[in-house]
Amino acid sequence: MLTLCQHAFLLLLLVISFIIPLFKIRYQCMNQTSRLFKPLFLLFFLTIISPKLLFAADGETLFKANCAACHKPDEHYVGPALKGAREREPEKGWVYKWVANASSMANTDPYAMKLKAEAGGVVMTSFPDLKKEDIDAILDWADKYEKPGAAKPGAGGAAAPAPETDNTILYGVLTLILAIVALILLQVNSNLKKLTDEKEGHRTAAPVPFYRNKAYLLLVVIFLFLLGGYFLVEGAMGLGRQKGYQPVQPIFYSHAVHAGVNQISCLYCHGGAQDSRHASIPSVNVCMNCHMAVKEYTGDPIKREDGTTVNANEEIQKLYKYAGWNPDTKTYDKPGKPIEWIKIHNLPAHVYFNHSQHVKVGQVACQTCHGEIQKMPEVHQFADLSMGWCINCHRTTNVQFNDNKGHGNNFYSIYEKFHEDIKNKKYDSVTVEKIGGTECQKCHY
Amino acid sequence: MNGMKKNNIIFSLFVLVSLCVAFQSCDSKREPGKIYMPDMAYSRAYVAYAPNNLASENIKYIPWPVEGTIRRGDLFPYILPNDSNGYKLSAQVKDPLPPLNSTQMKEAARLFNINCAICHGEKMDAQGPLSTGGKVPAVANLTLAQYIAMPVGTMFHSITYGKNNMGSYASQLSREQRWMVIQYIKAHQAGLNIATASSDANSASGTDSTKTK
Repeated sequence: MLTLCQHAFLLLLLVISFIIPLFKIRYQCMNQTSRLFKPLFLLFFLTIISPKLLFAADGETLFKANCAACHKPDEHYVGPALKGAREREPEKGWVYKWVANASSMANTDPYAMKLKAEAGGVVMTSFPDLKKEDIDAILDWADKYEKPGAAKPGAGGAAAPAPETDNTILYGVLTLILAIVALILLQVNSNLKKLTDEKEGHRTAAPVPFYRNKAYLLLVVIFLFLLGGYFLVEGAMGLGRQKGYQPVQPIFYSHAVHAGVNQISCLYCHGGAQDSRHASIPSVNVCMNCHMAVKEYTGDPIKREDGTTVNANEEIQKLYKYAGWNPDTKTYDKPGKPIEWIKIHNLPAHVYFNHSQHVKVGQVACQTCHGEIQKMPEVHQFADLSMGWCINCHRTTNVQFNDNKGHGNNFYSIYEKFHEDIKNKKYDSVTVEKIGGTECQKCHY
Repeated sequence: MNGMKKNNIIFSLFVLVSLCVAFQSCDSKREPGKIYMPDMAYSRAYVAYAPNNLASENIKYIPWPVEGTIRRGDLFPYILPNDSNGYKLSAQVKDPLPPLNSTQMKEAARLFNINCAICHGEKMDAQGPLSTGGKVPAVANLTLAQYIAMPVGTMFHSITYGKNNMGSYASQLSREQRWMVIQYIKAHQAGLNIATASSDANSASGTDSTKTK
């Protein structure tokens, strides 16, 4: 949940909040300490309110949010591999221009035209919101990227080890050690002070036990406040969102096998996505189109999330039971019943979403919102489906107007003003926001 | 006074911690999680793919259109029955669509590549991803003479009802779409500008937003 940077930052904050007051408090009046803590509080609120401000340049996160639908760090996907992109570019800094307005450059810049031809005529979406340092962070990350282990196609992916957990423990231990060191230093300090005081003949007050020492109490309160505030905000933002939701389905259906290994188009089963509001869950007869012939599974073993192997043949038998199909006589000899798949991607009732609007008209790839479904044995919710997530995409996604060569979508021909403005070079692309994609009534009515 | 202060601190800490626990406790990815306002999140009307209790409330309704209903703008229903006699008669059924223009042909190619090519192959030579691996046996090679000679009506009959290992595609392709696909197959078989048509189709599938790879 926490990124590495956030860990490091919180740790730093903790250590500072422990150590600085320990040494300063002794030589200042108590009412001055509050002044000391003010910047700390401020820092804390900054971490909550604007994590993006502080952790802007996390290449991997940026890559996953913006590029992963079409790029891979180390191999050609829809677009070229990002590894070494800066070594290939025709001149230094070319990539910044390209990311900011790819659509216009694709028809003028020779290297861009070459890229377009290599990608089969597909042009990258422009990302004018990505800053230079963001692009650098992404490319730095891609340059350093190494494939995690020897992942087998179809079986890999899910079983990636989680280095983040290891780091959490490491940081925890470090914090503990530093805290203990700080405590010991404090004891030493106070003992020395006591000794010098006694030597100089000062009167010393009776020692206060640490659990009644106001400085300590204050520290504990601040620590708990920081910790509690962080989790409180995280938890509150998580309410109503179900990113990562991965219910157990009635049949273990592996998208990695069907859409990945067997290369079945998403629209084969979810044909509704191009015609209607719903992507539509296929009825059992669609499964049986192939499974009349495909009676057993012979591919690589399929692993569940907990690492156990799925008995795929048993799952196919479950399908036959639902369909009422007798594989021996090759007839439907029992009454069938629908499979009650569990819907993963839920939007609240007050949000209107239409698949055909995005898939057919907007030409958005399924993977943009659903993640790399073709690599998921068990599907989980990839995007958080929050309003900010929707709006961000509407702000940055370019509308694919129909051009003279017949590329793009005829639907948008009704936006004559934009066509005129583009012709007159007022701007080179129009985002979804400009055609009303962020108006409240578009989704809430 | 000191005691009261301490009580206040302890109380606020308790509230904070319990709130944290409340927010964090429902973290399992197998559960859909909690929401702020149920009456805004969950629809009171029945929604698609959600269970309903109309039957238990003794409300009578027909969940599908009356038989013989024709969707606006759709072709007339196909009336031949799914038996050997119907199969024989289907040879005389004529294609109701006018010849497709190039845009429609591209769409037909896209539909073919989504629904048919996984077995029949993009080149119609039975070299699709499912047939080459031997997962689906005995896939018709549409480039063979017998399929080139096959009447369009028989093809329509087979796509509508299924044939041998092939299932019915009536739920995935509308009547018009089925005829479009047949025109695409026939055009491909006739070798009419095969090279340009299929390369167009390939580039169309290259920009297709819903492909899996």
